[in-house]
Amino acid sequence: MKKLSILVVDDDPVIRRLLQQRLQKANYDEIDVAEDGVIGIQMMSKKFYDVILTDLMMPNGVGGIEVLEAAKEINTDTEVVLITAHSSIDSAVEAMKKGAVDYLEKPINFDELFLRLDKIADVKTILRNAQDIQQAKDVTDHAASETIQDMELQISKLQNKIDELEAILRNSSINSEERIYQALDRIAED
Amino acid sequence: MIKITPAEIKTVAQYIYDISGIHLDSSKAYLFETRLSSIAEEHGCKSYSELHQQAKRDPAKAIERKIINAISTNETLFFRDKNPFELLKHKILPEIIDARAPRSPGMKTNIRIWSAAASTGQELYSIAITIKELIKNDPAYNFTLLGTDISDDAISQASYGKYNKFEIERGLDQRVLRQYFTLFGNTWKIKDEIRAMVNFRKFNLMQPFTGLGKFDIIFCRNVAIYFTLEDRKRLFNKIADALADDGFLLIGSTESLSGVCPQFIPKRHLRSIFYQKKA
Repeated sequence: MKKLSILVVDDDPVIRRLLQQRLQKANYDEIDVAEDGVIGIQMMSKKFYDVILTDLMMPNGVGGIEVLEAAKEINTDTEVVLITAHSSIDSAVEAMKKGAVDYLEKPINFDELFLRLDKIADVKTILRNAQDIQQAKDVTDHAASETIQDMELQISKLQNKIDELEAILRNSSINSEERIYQALDRIAED
Repeated sequence: MIKITPAEIKTVAQYIYDISGIHLDSSKAYLFETRLSSIAEEHGCKSYSELHQQAKRDPAKAIERKIINAISTNETLFFRDKNPFELLKHKILPEIIDARAPRSPGMKTNIRIWSAAASTGQELYSIAITIKELIKNDPAYNFTLLGTDISDDAISQASYGKYNKFEIERGLDQRVLRQYFTLFGNTWKIKDEIRAMVNFRKFNLMQPFTGLGKFDIIFCRNVAIYFTLEDRKRLFNKIADALADDGFLLIGSTESLSGVCPQFIPKRHLRSIFYQKKA
């Protein structure tokens, strides 16, 4: 099973079914479908998807661009791939400027689609690994900083004591024996 | 990738030290190769000695700037280590605000803060956001926030205040992200209300601090680790001079000033320590 949750948003039932079947056959473990942009946005509000595959042109005033904007508003970790007719490539490029990760032309070349999805999955794996490394580093840093800061305060306290001892031992207004007693008292203090 | 020879490591390390104060030893050969190889190739150099010679001959210092940009580490994130910003919010800012309260009504409270190794700006913007959350838009306070860094590229990105999703999502919670940044495609830009609070400029910490003035709070975190002990001593002595007598210094959470600058004493507040000058 390939670990990517995918939401297909397309108002064309044939394409919707075709995408769902081919993705299932390609072993993607979690595929949901939405029959238009409005339903798609409702679904992504309730559940996180790694990838949203959305048609660019859809009815009811909620097209692929609106789906993209909503997806990024809900969670920036969701990647959006637009499916577009050749005639609307300019809009698809515009969508990429707004944060879409890629676009595919109709008719869909499924080998191309699976390559793009694999690339998204690879990037997500690398990111997760990087986050794991960062977290491990944070834990080590945190432990090191606690040790260093405790030592820093101890050293400062000891330095302060040494300065006071020096002042006592150099105090010529009292005799040597008294200086030693005062110094020993100071050492005994916490 | 062009391989570096032991003799070149010595020469190039000395050159990098001279132009930036960054101390690299022979154990960091990989750093020279991974960070400088593309600059050497771009300038048609077959070796690092050639790159060194070209950099020294370049009157416009363009290669020097590229080398500094490549060699300086810009590892940073918003609210890095969290504790210093809690300290700022709950201890340092309230104390400084009290101490700087104007003597007569109608006057403003002026507070100057310096992020001495600002890198790509995340630290200074985190400070600005902390202040904004605490002070809101109260006109009684006048904050001057300065961020400096030796790298042109870092300062340029900091000034632009634009970050990709990987830079932004480390350290920032969604509420702060949405409140103080605007999403443009795949990048987030700091909002004008925060951008207007800060200033960035290029500055080499090895140089004299003339013209910087006095600061109430200085953040000098995770930069001195790249310097020699002698340079660290000089740096923190200059910082002591640039800090108000009752000012606050914050260094990196794994850094220490023991044996570096006796003018500073460490003090603990909750889980953090900060430094103040000896009375």
